[in-house]
Amino acid sequence: MEEIIAVAPMPPPPPLPAELPTAPGFERIEYPFEFHGDAREYFRIWIVNLALSIVTLGIFSAWAKVRTERYFYGNTRVADVPFEYLAKPWPILKGRLIAVVLFGGYVLAGQFSLKLQLGMAAAIALLTPWLLVRGAAFRARYSSWRGINFRFVPDYGEAYIRYLLLGLPVLLTFGLLYPYVKGKQKAFFVEHHRYGGSWFSFRATPGQFYPPYLIAWGVIVGWMFAFSITAGMLMVVFGGIGGTAPPIWFIYLYVIPLYAGYFVIWAFLAAALANLVYNNADLGRHRFRSTLKGRRLLWIYAGNTVAILASVGLLIPWAKVRLARYRAQTFAVLAGSDLAAFRAESRTDVGAAAAEMDGLFDIDIGL
Amino acid sequence: MTDRFAGTYFDGISGRGHVVELRRVGASHYAVQGDGIERGGALDKIAITPRLARVPRTIEFADGARLLLAHDAQIDAWFPRRRGMEAWVDRLERHAYAVALAIFVCVGTMAAGAIWGVPWLADRIAEQIPPAAERALGDQVLASMDRLGLEPSVLEAERRDALAARFAKLANGIGDAPGYRIEFRHAPGIGANAFALPGGTVVVTDELIDLIGDDREFDAVVAHEIGHQQYRHALRQTLRSSFVAIAAAFFAGDVSSASTVVIAIPTFLLDSHYSRAFEEEADRYAFELLAQHEESPHWFAEAMRTLAAEMPDDGQLAYLSSHPTSADRIGAADDAALAFARTHPELCPNGVCPGEEPVDDDESDCDDCEDEDAGDPADAESPSLACDKDFEV
Repeated sequence: MEEIIAVAPMPPPPPLPAELPTAPGFERIEYPFEFHGDAREYFRIWIVNLALSIVTLGIFSAWAKVRTERYFYGNTRVADVPFEYLAKPWPILKGRLIAVVLFGGYVLAGQFSLKLQLGMAAAIALLTPWLLVRGAAFRARYSSWRGINFRFVPDYGEAYIRYLLLGLPVLLTFGLLYPYVKGKQKAFFVEHHRYGGSWFSFRATPGQFYPPYLIAWGVIVGWMFAFSITAGMLMVVFGGIGGTAPPIWFIYLYVIPLYAGYFVIWAFLAAALANLVYNNADLGRHRFRSTLKGRRLLWIYAGNTVAILASVGLLIPWAKVRLARYRAQTFAVLAGSDLAAFRAESRTDVGAAAAEMDGLFDIDIGL
Repeated sequence: MTDRFAGTYFDGISGRGHVVELRRVGASHYAVQGDGIERGGALDKIAITPRLARVPRTIEFADGARLLLAHDAQIDAWFPRRRGMEAWVDRLERHAYAVALAIFVCVGTMAAGAIWGVPWLADRIAEQIPPAAERALGDQVLASMDRLGLEPSVLEAERRDALAARFAKLANGIGDAPGYRIEFRHAPGIGANAFALPGGTVVVTDELIDLIGDDREFDAVVAHEIGHQQYRHALRQTLRSSFVAIAAAFFAGDVSSASTVVIAIPTFLLDSHYSRAFEEEADRYAFELLAQHEESPHWFAEAMRTLAAEMPDDGQLAYLSSHPTSADRIGAADDAALAFARTHPELCPNGVCPGEEPVDDDESDCDDCEDEDAGDPADAESPSLACDKDFEV
């Protein structure tokens, strides 16, 4: 869910070579992300791992996930040092089994009684914040750069407030509070991450989430209005004469542009939100620069969709590499001080982290 | 064997990288040296990340330090006993035949899913839709068809009542399927047609009634439509062709969202065709239902011939599709008629049932239709056209 844009390793991190200016004039030095993945190379990995996942009825998918992540992390570099994905397949397999059981229970419950299914849905909703935290913690813990790991420090109470309880006022205000809640959720997500001994912080206020959403909502309303009028007129022109059933192509002609409009708006909104989040996330004295363009992102998403459909899925690797490359191109660390000062967490902190790491709940559930 | 690799060493505590050299010492030891780093030990105390494309290899030390090797080094030779599953997968990924086989497996699975998986899922969903919901669905379909060009019937009321009575007699025999109902509609834009809607409503157009010569043909047509409904063909076929709705319904576990297919059903019934398997299934059902009411499947063949003969010349193929299955279906009906005559000797003395022309067996074969003798009495209403056209009844 958090990975609106990111197929590439998402945790934004940073330390750098020692010879950085620690000038009091506070010059920031930009270190762009680089992505060196190659579509053909990744295709081989993807197709072989997919086939193995199919023939093992999904069990291999955990290994496939590790290989995929390692490929994208390992091909993403900052200051010429690649990221590393360190997770082992077993916890991922465990997480997936739990997800299958939950989801299968939900689907099966529907076969027996609606009440049971509603009960399952409520149980899954109650579990969601916990799962989000576990997923973030897992990903962060096994993301590494320069031999130092990221970490997501769980705060379940806060997670339940921001991902579950705040849903109520959103409903009561017919969605008007949605950008506010989204802002609170992003802040929670950023502020609970750390890289080694340093915390991430978040400068954006929830209010800053309103302009992108308000623009998107306005455009959607305008689009639906203009579209219904045009479609209505066409309907009269074509259907008015014979009074016969509209041919099937007419229905597609109606539905496709309608959804295309949503797609366009969504791409621009995704770009704006990702930029807002990353440009306001700090790590110590370091900042990030995210310069996604809605137009480029739309072009990439649209091209990817067409290519995937036309190739019955075989161009998925190409699409993922293309997106990861663009994401890296538009992302940079702005180093604000001597990055050699980055340290791992102190030993006592590591102790706490290790206890948690070996716990029963070291699972990954991708949400 | 290479025994020296350049790399960058991170001690796991500081983010500072050290340019070092990794060296093999003897058969079972290593040493790391350079930029103030000096460490060494037994090879079996360190690990190496599995090979993957051009991703840099990393030596993992037990204390959390990491050594990133400058390129995809040939270092696996140092760890001969560590070739696990991932090494095997890596070889597959680099092997052209393995990749080709993987493409075959993936595309084949997808094709199998489309061919068998989707119909299977669609049928499971159709099974779950409760009768009341199906009924409501059928009513919506009829309402939208009425908007799309069906008009109130202009048949005389007595005629309609008589036909409705015949329909009721047929439908009453069906044990567990309440709610069969017939609707007549005038449909100038659609022509002779009959549909079974979800929930048990059978719609017959005035144009079809005008065409048929014998009321037993009407029985045959509606028996066929009842067959479609008994197997819920309209729902199943529409669900099969709207995969998105299926997926949504299945994964959301919410069968009611499958009812969004309601918009697709009228268009389907008017413009598209059942699969051949569905038609044959409904045909067989009709033969049995007719036989239960002591009517011969002959009338089904008759109805098919009548409809084919009246196919308009203007290319309006509302109830005719171009694939040549109807000859086979007529043939099957004729065969069923012969079987009926054999099993009902009290109704059909000498194998000829009342009102039937003698059935020429050859007639059912499409190849023979082309050179049929125009003088053949049985053929009077059955031009060769009937052979390569199929009706949608």
